[in-house]
Amino acid sequence: MNLFSFLENAQNWTTASGAIPYRLGEHLFYTVVSVAIAAVIGIPLGILVGHTGRGNFVIIGFTNAARAIPTLGFVILMVLLLSSGAVPVLIVLAVLALPPILTATAAGVAGADSNAVHAARALGMTPGQVISKVEWPLALPLVLSGVRSATLQVVATATVAAYASAGGLGRFIVDGLASQDYPQMFAGALLVALLAIVLDILLGAVVAGLRRRARPTSDRRVAVEVSAAA
Amino acid sequence: MNFDRRRFLGVMAAGAGALTLGACGGSNSDPLAGGSASPAGGSSGSAAAGSIVVGSGNFTESAILGQIYSQALVAKGVQSSVKANLNSREVYIKALQDGSVSAFPEYTGNLLLYFDKNATAKTSEEVIAALPKAIGSLKVLDASQAVDQDVYCCTQEWSQKNGVTSLADLSKVQNLSVGGPPELQQRDYGPPGLKSVYGATTASFKAYSSTAVKVKDLQDGKVDIADFFTTESAIADNNLVKLADPKTLILPQQVIPLVSSAVASNSTATAALNAVQKALTTDDLLALNKKVDSDRQDPADVAKAWLQSKQLV
Repeated sequence: MNLFSFLENAQNWTTASGAIPYRLGEHLFYTVVSVAIAAVIGIPLGILVGHTGRGNFVIIGFTNAARAIPTLGFVILMVLLLSSGAVPVLIVLAVLALPPILTATAAGVAGADSNAVHAARALGMTPGQVISKVEWPLALPLVLSGVRSATLQVVATATVAAYASAGGLGRFIVDGLASQDYPQMFAGALLVALLAIVLDILLGAVVAGLRRRARPTSDRRVAVEVSAAA
Repeated sequence: MNFDRRRFLGVMAAGAGALTLGACGGSNSDPLAGGSASPAGGSSGSAAAGSIVVGSGNFTESAILGQIYSQALVAKGVQSSVKANLNSREVYIKALQDGSVSAFPEYTGNLLLYFDKNATAKTSEEVIAALPKAIGSLKVLDASQAVDQDVYCCTQEWSQKNGVTSLADLSKVQNLSVGGPPELQQRDYGPPGLKSVYGATTASFKAYSSTAVKVKDLQDGKVDIADFFTTESAIADNNLVKLADPKTLILPQQVIPLVSSAVASNSTATAALNAVQKALTTDDLLALNKKVDSDRQDPADVAKAWLQSKQLV
C-alpha cells in the first residue's frame, strides 16, 4: 500500500470543496479564529490578574478545570445545545486555547521586573501607564509563547470539527478510518502535523524577535520612554 | 452501542478481518458467565453429545440473541451453553464448521455476502432462498421478521412538506442532502444507489460520526434524509419517518440462526429456536438493546424476561 497515494492524487489538490486546500483552509480558519477569541478574552483577564495580584486562585482553578474538559464530548454537547457547523467548534477550541494564554499573560505581567514597576510608580505613572508602558512590554514574550502553545494544541485538536460536521483536516482522518482508506487517514494526520510545525516555527520566530527587543540591552530605549512618560 | 454494531456489520460485510471491534462497553458480558444458561454439567464449551453451544458476537444485540437462543433450548430440555464475544465471522464460521459452536444468531444479507460476494439476491425472499446453497455444510433455520439493517429517515415535517414517504419519492426533491456514516458515500446503498435505483440525485453528502449530531442536523433542516439502523432508538425517540424501500436498495438483514447440521436434524432444538424466530420483532430488538445499553441490564436477564413475556419458557 502506498501511504502517499492520497497526497499524490492531483484530484485531491483542486480548489473543489472537500479537497485538500479547502480542508486546510477550514482547519486554519478554526485555528486562527479560536486562538484570536481566546486571546481577546484571555489577555485582558490575564493582565488584570497579573497586575492586581488578585484572583490567582480563580485562574488556577479555572484553567485546570478547562484543561480537564474532554473536547470530543464538549463538541457534541455544543452541537446539541446550538447547532452543527463552525460556531460550536470555535467555542470548544477557544475554551481549549484560553488556559495557556490566560496563565502565560498573568504570569508574565505578575513577573515583570519589580524594580522597573516600582520605578515607574515612583515616576508618577498611573496604573494604566504602568501596565501599558512597563508590565505589558516585559510580559509580551511570555504572552506570545502562551499563544504559541495554545495554537499548537488547537491545530492538533481542530480535527474534532469533523464530529460537528464542520470539515477541517479531521474529515480525512474520520472518513479514512470509516472506509479503511489508510492513505487518506495518513494524509490527514500528516497535514495536521505539518500545519502545526509550520505555525509553531512562525510563532517561534515572532517570540524570538520580541525576546531580543525586551532584553536589558535596550536600556536606552526604555530610558527614553520613561523620560518621555515623565 | 450502535456505533460498534455498525462497525461490526460494516467490517464484516467488507470481508475484512477483526479490526476496531475491541470495545463494546455496553454488552456487560462477563466471559466467566458464559455457561450461565446451562444446566449442570453442560458448561464445558465443547459440543458434548446432546449439548448445544450457542455462540454470539461482541456486540449487544448478538449477546442478547445468543442468550435467548440458549435459554429457549434449555427450556425445552436441550442442554445448552453460551460462548459469547466471538468477534468476527471468520472465527465463528470456523467454530461452527469444526463443531465447537453449533448455533449462532446471524443476519441474512451479510451472511449471504460472506459466502457469496457476487450474490445477486436483492429481496428478502431471494436472499433467504439463496442462503442454503451458499452456506455449504451449515444450515439456517427460519428467518425472523426482526431486521437490523440500514434505513433512511427524515423528520415528520420534511416528509409532509415534500410529500416523501418512500425512497421512490426522492427523485422529485431538488437539492437533496443526504447524511450518514462516512463510508456510506461510496456504498452501493448510499448516494450512488439512490441515483441508479431511484433516480434521486444527491446534491450534497454530509458525513456523521455521532448519532446525536445527525439527529440534531435533521431537526435543524441542515440535512434532508439520513441513514440509521432500524434498531436505533433515536428513530422512535425523535419521531423520525422511516422511508420505505420498495425496490430493496438496502439488502435485508433479518435475524436468522446459523446452525450445524447436527442441530438442524434435532427437531426439539429447531422447534425451540424457530418459536423464538417467530416471536421476535424489530421493536423487540430495539427494546432489548436499550435495556442492556442504556439501562445497564445483564443480557442473560434481559433475554430471560423477553422469553417469559412471549411465554417461550
